[in-house]
Amino acid sequence: MTTNRPDDVRQHFDAELDTLRLDSVALGALVLENCRRLAEALIENDLELAALVVEADNEIDEFYVALERRTFLTMALQQPVARDLRLLVSLTRLLYEIERSGDLVVNGAKGLLRQEGYEMSPSLRSILGRLGHMAADVFSQGLDTLRDLDKDAGVRLDAADDAVDDLVSEFYTRLAAEQERSDMHLDPAVELSRVGRYLERIADHGVNVADHVTFIVTGSFPDHQSPAVAHEDER
Amino acid sequence: MTETPRSESSLSVQAPGRGTGRSRSERPIIFDVQGLAVNYGDFTAVAGVDIDIRQNEITAFIGPSGCGKTTVLRCFNRMNDLIETARVSGSIEYHGVDLYGEGVDPVEVRRRIGMVFQKPNPFPKSIYDNIAFGPKIAGFKGDMDELVEQSLRRAAIWDEVKDKLQDSAFALSGGQQQRLCIARAIATSPDVVLMDEPCSALDPIATLRIEELMMELKEDYTILIVTHNMQQAARVSDRTAFFTVDVGDTGMRTGRLVEFDDTDKIFVNPSEQQTEDYITGRFG
Repeated sequence: MTTNRPDDVRQHFDAELDTLRLDSVALGALVLENCRRLAEALIENDLELAALVVEADNEIDEFYVALERRTFLTMALQQPVARDLRLLVSLTRLLYEIERSGDLVVNGAKGLLRQEGYEMSPSLRSILGRLGHMAADVFSQGLDTLRDLDKDAGVRLDAADDAVDDLVSEFYTRLAAEQERSDMHLDPAVELSRVGRYLERIADHGVNVADHVTFIVTGSFPDHQSPAVAHEDER
Repeated sequence: MTETPRSESSLSVQAPGRGTGRSRSERPIIFDVQGLAVNYGDFTAVAGVDIDIRQNEITAFIGPSGCGKTTVLRCFNRMNDLIETARVSGSIEYHGVDLYGEGVDPVEVRRRIGMVFQKPNPFPKSIYDNIAFGPKIAGFKGDMDELVEQSLRRAAIWDEVKDKLQDSAFALSGGQQQRLCIARAIATSPDVVLMDEPCSALDPIATLRIEELMMELKEDYTILIVTHNMQQAARVSDRTAFFTVDVGDTGMRTGRLVEFDDTDKIFVNPSEQQTEDYITGRFG
């Protein structure tokens, strides 16, 4: 007969915490890959690739549900406190940030698909594609903080997020100008402005991921903004 | 009036205060403990304890076996006086009075500072006499029936025993016996109740009843509890003291207070790594 020593039981718990965290990063990597696909689809006006983006989200959703279930199970069985508790509760919120980002990518792809028949000017496509890659970069850095448990990345990500916000503003200005001087209808213009908004939000979720990591490590959110506030303006 | 300093909560959202509406920092200090140490002969059981206990709060002592938490608890009503070799140093002020000062009557101390033990220990008497015994000794002259009923009601056991007050206390279940002991402890109108692992011999349902009772009792009393059950400390207490045991070169084991803070803080974001390791089950 073998008995588990307390150390063994706790080592198993430690390993499960690491696995959950790194699997969450892996989920994020799937979203990231899909976001890059979307950026390319926007640049190339590639509707087939956009359809693939929509399709790829099913796998992300399934992975998300499984991860969330494992997180809850670990909480129920291990009754975590202190840092373990902060990690597990934050993971449930991080998973939401990541899954939500995946949905925004899909929304962006659907926005492009609904443009069938209208082709954006190369300059608009380029700027929207650039926005997609920039948002993906911020999101990717957010995932890095989770992988490395880096509590100090928030400031760096804030700056990157500001650059995304600036580019979105520029995109809106160009879009409005193009809509005014071309035969572009209001519908595609509104649709495209939404795509810009989705991409901006993906970057915000990346920043939120970094904020949650700061909470996991230090027990406090960074000063600039708590993720709860950041969600208020999401639509 | 000075401004109350903002609570240093570890959460960005302020956790709702437990218990009475008063904010914690405003509550008066009942015990002020400075540099407390207890020796048994040459052996130092616990040393370096600085703690303040506030009115109408539940303060929990947690820590591994041998860390001195029960020894410290027993200092609060001078139970250590009963052990010949025990020597208490440092100071414990009770309402500003040195608890170990000359002229302080230990019997009076124990009337004001009641105690409930790990194992329910009713007297081999009727339920009624268990409650009436203490007040009778203390010279209580009022309506004894009323006092017995009131004590049993406060301990949330009246409805279960009101029809069999003359039955032996031993006929009750373990959980009922423990609530009877709590009723007995409060019958002498103490203002502090010390509890030494009061639920360790009880099943989860009886434990829950005692915990609910503690939450009610703290409206009227100040409670100190030693518990091995960390979740119990987290559930019921306002503040938590974590003790550990240091092993010296000669193998001597001495208890030490590691951290004392709001329970919210201890269980969400403790300041000391030793506290974190203990409460998260990483004993090393």
